[in-house]
Amino acid sequence: MQSTLDFGPRVLEHLLVTEAQAGLHDSDATFVRAAQQGDTEAFGQLYRRYARMVHGILLGRVRHVEVEDLVQEVFLRALPRVRELRDTSRFGSWLATIARNLAVDYYRRSQTRPERPDEACDPDEQPAKFNVSSNGEAAEILECIRSLPEAYRETLILRLVEGMTGPEIAAKTGLSPGSVRVNLHRGMNQLRQKLAHGELRNASVSKNRTMV
Amino acid sequence: MLAKTEQWSDMSEQHKQQAGHDEYLWQGSGKPDAEIQRLEQALEEFRATSLVPPAFPVIDYAPGRSAWWLAITSNIWVPRFAAAILTLAAFTIALVLSLSESPSPGGNGWSVELTEAQADSSLTAGKPKRKMQMQVGEAFETDRISKANIAVADIGRLELEPMTRLRLLQSAAGRKRIALDRGTIHVAIWAPPGEFVVDTPSAVAVDLGCMYTLSIEENGNGLLRTTLGWVGFQSNGHESFIPAGAAAATYAESGPGLPFFEDASGLFRSAISRFDSAKEGSAQRTAAQQVILRLARPRDGLTLWHLLSRVSPVDRQAVYERLSALIPPPAGTTREGILRLDRTMLDSWWNALDFGDIGLWRHWERSWTGHEAQQK
Repeated sequence: MQSTLDFGPRVLEHLLVTEAQAGLHDSDATFVRAAQQGDTEAFGQLYRRYARMVHGILLGRVRHVEVEDLVQEVFLRALPRVRELRDTSRFGSWLATIARNLAVDYYRRSQTRPERPDEACDPDEQPAKFNVSSNGEAAEILECIRSLPEAYRETLILRLVEGMTGPEIAAKTGLSPGSVRVNLHRGMNQLRQKLAHGELRNASVSKNRTMV
Repeated sequence: MLAKTEQWSDMSEQHKQQAGHDEYLWQGSGKPDAEIQRLEQALEEFRATSLVPPAFPVIDYAPGRSAWWLAITSNIWVPRFAAAILTLAAFTIALVLSLSESPSPGGNGWSVELTEAQADSSLTAGKPKRKMQMQVGEAFETDRISKANIAVADIGRLELEPMTRLRLLQSAAGRKRIALDRGTIHVAIWAPPGEFVVDTPSAVAVDLGCMYTLSIEENGNGLLRTTLGWVGFQSNGHESFIPAGAAAATYAESGPGLPFFEDASGLFRSAISRFDSAKEGSAQRTAAQQVILRLARPRDGLTLWHLLSRVSPVDRQAVYERLSALIPPPAGTTREGILRLDRTMLDSWWNALDFGDIGLWRHWERSWTGHEAQQK
């Protein structure tokens, strides 16, 4: 009898990292349907599963100190609207859109211009050896990631900051695995170039102007 | 020519290295990329620290009553008439059921209902039908597109996914046991902990008051994911306790793997998978262990507690230190005792993790023996 699953060591790893996510979609749909009936416990489960993704999306756009509060705001926005979600398997991408929109609203509300991240990361400066050793430098690395094109920025933050794998990012955000892979690869290449061109040397002067 | 061969060899090596680095960037496996690892460590401080949901307000989704509904329900006779109809219907249904249902042979049969009946789904010795009884010693399997529900006596319910085969081994008072040969079952049990047991080719799953999903492949490997309560997973002296929100793999050769919370990062889960599948004492296993320790959150004390008894005495010290930092051992638990795997102290620490009282498991161990249940 042909099996639908193969739990060889390699495939089992894949299962744990990716197919478990695919499996999660089944139970996600269950939780979404329950949430659509007003079950706040089910919505809490969805929070546990997607808060990390939402956190990463927001971290690419708003100040770090604001992110935790905004994560909750994203879910509070989603709760009364979850009943409008027809395709329950699209919960992740739907939630990601709410998070991105909230980040935009955040700036409209605050009437402030976000610091251009690339101001802290000048590629024209002389190359410097990439070195990561202090919190200030970590903040500058984050700024450099934020200066990347949006698709690369979001994917890299989910991978490098939130610790999600590529397959997991794809499963959660609704992007295709191929797109995520390309974004990771190209984004990482651009980040390496930026980091190799003088960004970390600005740590002392840029602390006051970064949006971290 | 030699120079060109060396050049190709170098290029091939570079290609391999690049492929390994890409794999690490993609899913945290393969040859670690030192630069990416440094970035991960530096950026860790920005990671989401709390995944605990806030208290969400209750949303009333009920639509407002329309004028016609109010008009009908405001008539005092309508509710009375409806109540009379419902009462009559209830009596009729009860009468029909009492006349049509005969007691199952032997009294311990489990009722099986196919939710998507197909011609080749049947009891071993029976003919295809939508409802049937399953007796001790019988097997049941679903085909590629069939699903089925099984009432576990009066203590719970199983949902079988397609391509699932199970056997009913025991259905006595206080003891229900099946063997899952392959496929996927969703289990919901409301009996006291320890009453329902599932044998798999690579481990025994013991319900400790919960709902869970268990998948078993032809080769005996599988995955258990707990939705509610917790489950004990046991084989060859390996025990894994899997609380709600966690999962654990099981391997035909080595039994239950390390349990982990499914909201852990992909890198953490990937490291657990590598640890489980690597040989004891191998460099791969050691590397995976280091990643597990580094990325563990307080909640991942679940994984570290299990790790204590699965590493060498030398490595155990590092695990002890990390787990102690995340969840201090309770009073009466000593470092020396944990390092020599003192059962009482380990159990005490487990209870301090607050995932479930391990006394339930120990009680089950005392009251059940390995293959006792093969006999009814």
